[in-house]
Amino acid sequence: MPDRLIWTRAADDVFETAVTSASMARALAERLRDAGQAEDVVAGLRSVAVRFRPDHAAGVEAWLASLPEISEPSPETGPPVDISVHYGGEFGPDLGAVCTALGLAEEAFIARHTGAVHTVEMMGFTPGFAYVSGFPEGMDIARFDDPRPRVAAGSVGISAGFTGLYALAGPGGWPLVGRTLDRLFDPAGEEPFRLRAGQRIRFRAV
Amino acid sequence: MLRVMAPGLQSSLQARWRSGARHLGLPAAGPADTLSMALANRLVGNSPGETAIEITYGGFEAIIESDCTIAITGAHGRIEVSGAEMPAHESLHLRAGQSITIAPPHFGARAYLAIHSGFQATEFMGSASTDLTAGLGGHDGRALRAGDRLSAKGEARFQGDLQTPPALRPVFTEAFALRTCASAETGLLAPASRAALFGSAFTAGRQATRMGLALTGQSLRLASDGRMKSAPVFPGTIQCPPSGTPILLLCDAQTTGGYPRIANIARCDRHLLGQIRPGNTVRLLERTPEAAAAAYTEKLDLLADWLQPGPEARGDILN
Repeated sequence: MPDRLIWTRAADDVFETAVTSASMARALAERLRDAGQAEDVVAGLRSVAVRFRPDHAAGVEAWLASLPEISEPSPETGPPVDISVHYGGEFGPDLGAVCTALGLAEEAFIARHTGAVHTVEMMGFTPGFAYVSGFPEGMDIARFDDPRPRVAAGSVGISAGFTGLYALAGPGGWPLVGRTLDRLFDPAGEEPFRLRAGQRIRFRAV
Repeated sequence: MLRVMAPGLQSSLQARWRSGARHLGLPAAGPADTLSMALANRLVGNSPGETAIEITYGGFEAIIESDCTIAITGAHGRIEVSGAEMPAHESLHLRAGQSITIAPPHFGARAYLAIHSGFQATEFMGSASTDLTAGLGGHDGRALRAGDRLSAKGEARFQGDLQTPPALRPVFTEAFALRTCASAETGLLAPASRAALFGSAFTAGRQATRMGLALTGQSLRLASDGRMKSAPVFPGTIQCPPSGTPILLLCDAQTTGGYPRIANIARCDRHLLGQIRPGNTVRLLERTPEAAAAAYTEKLDLLADWLQPGPEARGDILN
């Protein structure tokens, strides 16, 4: 079912629309970004926001109103990107607690996590942080009420049905099951962040 | 060349807001008070978003190592050059060997020190602003430390002698009244809480950082459980977590969040957010988006007469 886009003014400088899936949000955001009319186009998991200068509101509104409806994009093809993960131990201090909560042995957790093909649903929150779907077993794992002041770059967390990948070191509230030593961020690179929304990935235990 | 002797609580190089990269999780960074930085840059002949030093709560000292023209705006205490008091909002022509100190302000939080031609800094994704949380841009991606040497991009002396017109000098007090628009999830507030949001005074919480601050003193209630999918947030967004204490986001804030977005500070008044101190009073004045946009255009036109930004830089004055 295509989505008819209904834009609401969420601020003097933001229009927002609801969509029915994260993949729809990504596809719409990419299309809007390519048009180059907005200061920022940000996809949420079920929404897309367009930020603009308030004195450009009339032009932006007319542009958004002229957009056709949007259909579910065709799934990504091609092989998924491999991400090597050190599960448990000092790299994944919460693996035991997560497994206990899920009623899984650690080997079974790792087998399921590495057995699935995952998708980067959204980049956001902090620089390069990736919300990755593909492990619905973790739906009931909650974030910590008090985040850790600092988790390492490459940390792999589980919460609310997502795997979270920390591209950079920083505060973090997700229970950590492992860490990748693959470089997720290279400030000097042409594309500084290795992952992008929509990308398929597979985790490899090392 | 300028050598930092004491950076105060937190000083950093800031330039224009980083835009167009929020979908990668990159915050705006940049000055918490865009207008004060634009005014400082004007006095030394720069564009509004040229790289300058943002100084938090004064306590800043530096030695001038080569002749230059600087200007100081925003929230500052006594300004001294080699022991002699100097004014804010004026071009200051300094000589090598002189020292400059900026004492803590009585009101407001952040001062801006601009130098003719701007400070050299590392660009990252279209802006030289320091992203303090990610460690990107600016001076090594970090806050300034005692001993840091900062260079101007080019000739640091400016021939002009300028003063900000008195009517354009922002005045900071202990109370802030901010024009504000309803947002995507304002409708999730219980009716009494919606009335409190726009009708009551809040007190800025004990932590007021470049990322955000809590608005305390009124506990708001959501009509639903408030659980929602992560959605875009911006500087100026007010979120309502389950605790009922709203969080006001600033320039370093995250790009998405899972708490209901109950209001947005209008862009015309967003520059004031960088001057709110813990304990200050904050009132939110509800405006329609159309009225807020009209206020933005009016304020920007007024400022542009003095700041004379190029078309590319006009948006850097109020963001």
